[in-house]
Amino acid sequence: MNAVEIGGLTYTYPGVPQPTLRDISLQIPKGDFLAVVGNNGCGKSTLCKALNGLIPHFITGTMEGSVRVCGLNTLEYDVGVLAQKVGYVYQDFENQIVRPTVLDDASYSCLNYAFPDYLERGRAALKQCGLEGREEEYVWQLSGGQTHLLALAGAVSLRPDILILDEPIAQLDPMHADRIYAVLRDLNENHGKTILVIEHHTEYIADFCKHVMLMKDGQVRWILPTENALQRVEELEECNIFPPQVTQAAYGLRKGGILPANVPLPTTVADGEKAFAGLRYIPREKPAPAAPGGESAVSVQNVSLSYRSVKGEPHTVFDGLDLDIRKGEKVALIGSNGAGKSTLMKLMVGLLKPNAGTVSLFGEAIGDKKAEDLSRQISLVYQNPEEMFIKDSIRADIAYAMEVRKVPEWEKRTAELLERFRLTELADRDGRLMSGGQMRRASLAIGIALNPGILLLDEPTANLDIATRREIMAVLSDMKDIIQTAIIATHDMQLVCQWAERIIVLRGGRVVADGPRDEIFARADLVEQVGIRPPEIFTMGQALDRRALCYTIDEFLSSFQEA
Amino acid sequence: MEKLTAKLSESILDKLSMDFLRNQVLKNAYGNDDTVIAGLDPRILLAWYLFFGLVPWFVSDIPFLLGCFLLVMATTLLARVAGLVLFLFALGVFSQTGYLFVVTLLFGGDASAVAPLLILTLKVATISLASVTVFSGLDPDKLSNGLMWYGCPERLSFSISYAYRMLPMLMEEFQNVLLSYRLRGNPPAHETFGGKVRYLIYQVKIIMQSFYPLMLNTAKRSRTTVEALELRGYRYAAVNKSVKKIKLAALKVTYNDGLFLAISFLVVAVAVLISTLL
Repeated sequence: MNAVEIGGLTYTYPGVPQPTLRDISLQIPKGDFLAVVGNNGCGKSTLCKALNGLIPHFITGTMEGSVRVCGLNTLEYDVGVLAQKVGYVYQDFENQIVRPTVLDDASYSCLNYAFPDYLERGRAALKQCGLEGREEEYVWQLSGGQTHLLALAGAVSLRPDILILDEPIAQLDPMHADRIYAVLRDLNENHGKTILVIEHHTEYIADFCKHVMLMKDGQVRWILPTENALQRVEELEECNIFPPQVTQAAYGLRKGGILPANVPLPTTVADGEKAFAGLRYIPREKPAPAAPGGESAVSVQNVSLSYRSVKGEPHTVFDGLDLDIRKGEKVALIGSNGAGKSTLMKLMVGLLKPNAGTVSLFGEAIGDKKAEDLSRQISLVYQNPEEMFIKDSIRADIAYAMEVRKVPEWEKRTAELLERFRLTELADRDGRLMSGGQMRRASLAIGIALNPGILLLDEPTANLDIATRREIMAVLSDMKDIIQTAIIATHDMQLVCQWAERIIVLRGGRVVADGPRDEIFARADLVEQVGIRPPEIFTMGQALDRRALCYTIDEFLSSFQEA
Repeated sequence: MEKLTAKLSESILDKLSMDFLRNQVLKNAYGNDDTVIAGLDPRILLAWYLFFGLVPWFVSDIPFLLGCFLLVMATTLLARVAGLVLFLFALGVFSQTGYLFVVTLLFGGDASAVAPLLILTLKVATISLASVTVFSGLDPDKLSNGLMWYGCPERLSFSISYAYRMLPMLMEEFQNVLLSYRLRGNPPAHETFGGKVRYLIYQVKIIMQSFYPLMLNTAKRSRTTVEALELRGYRYAAVNKSVKKIKLAALKVTYNDGLFLAISFLVVAVAVLISTLL
């Protein structure tokens, strides 16, 4: 039996001239684990909303054709009935949580649909999603990953046959991302749920999904088994989907004539080991890293900090932290959610005051500095760009700090920054109404407006699709020469590998490792302990030869050749 | 000495930071769900409040008011109300009546002014403390269930608990927007007295301006929330009578509630007795 049957679906949003979905016909069998991929704006989310009845019952517009979920025609049933068949987890999942405590939220839908056993259903859903034992906690105490699991539990509690997740792991560190997918696999295999994920991370698709559906311009190009789908490297890249790094490397080798054209490309590291078995590692001389020197830019000495908590003892973040960052360094600060990365950054810009110890910039304690001087020396770009938009246009936002300080020629500099970050055309728009990548670029422009000696970036690539992420990574490496010292807090290991010269690993408020990338990623204990994970291509190189330290596909291609 | 004053002013500023406010609000809403008061049935507590929130207005008998006042003080202590709320309460009572006494003394009055002022003060204090006990001793969910039992519309009770769910997030976001101003703004120098006044005006202005981005961000967020509420059956629950029944089934009057009412009754009775004996 099919979970979803769509025949000739065409849908146009109200007030939009072009249809967003065009003549879509497809079947999704029961028990499938399907990844939906495609460009931004290709209609992925719209298609998913047509499955749970939001389209056309809640979001109007013109719809032609038929959609059947679990045998029910969505035109004949209202959202309430369909919601019990199709669960939906949004990309901005925290906004779908409406109750203060965990169990309350998990059982909320069941209560609303008048199930007398709503609490048991909520508990069962929490158990399935791995949140057992947290029933009484408040939702704002949960980490990002746990919040996502709660949103999932809220959907699972109604016991729908189909679950749809929109970009489930975009905001999560690798450990939490693994957990989400483990839960989804369990729901799929042991509870018979049909699962649809809108996903850009092809590594996860390769590991977990059974089929892949490619959408382009409101149409479905194809639905294929995962192994076959990921082979279509050119077609995917055309839609800004990047196959797993192993596949990309194999594709590069095939183009170079090293791998035969008729053998399927590997999609996982395990497949890669077989496919690349004939390759030999060519050791290369690596340029010796420049000896660190120069004066101190940021110095954190014996800093302790604790937060007040709602109940009980204050929560200690740092206890006697020491850290020294020298002028000109490009530092990545990594560690799982809640390790203290954002807090450390807030200490450095003086937004938080340590309970003990000192933080100094360029040899001078922050406490002795005027706010005016401080903001010229150091600048912080938030994880959430919306919180940096305090004026009604991007131009005004970028100009603000220079204008109030009466920086000479601030208008000219604003225009230059707009140009540099390709925002000139959008200059008069409110930042909130722009796309994810544009918002990021704007927040970077705001961050460097005063030409700070030190730039702090909190998760600059979180929540972006892969194509936009690449773009921001390019912007960041482009910025390298105009900023002296920069610190990035991130989960994005590709960014870390390509950008950082020094990596600092935080865990529970302590520095557990500090060094260049070769040193950090070679340590297996860190990978276990902190949950950091090198890029897939690095793992692939390591699996073939322990000496190989490749961080990009190009490095891999030049290090491995025919035996 | 200078150092001491600097330190003092710093610690006061620290107390009034957004972080502190946020912490106090959360403490008030959720930090005391394990107290005796929080364990009571909201319906009983609301009925109790009806008495202690209304009757003192109409009685001017000092022993009776004093008895009520002592009782609600005890319940406030039992509810472990957050410090900020108590501070606001004290400030409120003083601004209502305390200053009158000071003014009376200034204009040549004497201690005879105490008695009438005491009555007014006791009335105001009793009623405020009764409100504090009920509205901050109960967690918002219980409160809204209690209100629903008395026939308040379901939308009101949902709004109360949703507001409390959003409050921590909104305050954090507000804090971050304020920080944006602090990081990028250029506050006036505040060494001189004139500068201090300008600095204060600047800060008030910033706080007001920060609401604008906060509103827009919230509006953006609510797009998902509205859809999610539809999916989660919010609209269906509002028209379904059995949902209300299921929700209210959790309310239960226990032994503690009886005890609470009995003690309250006893205290009031003793107070009335004393006042007739005097």
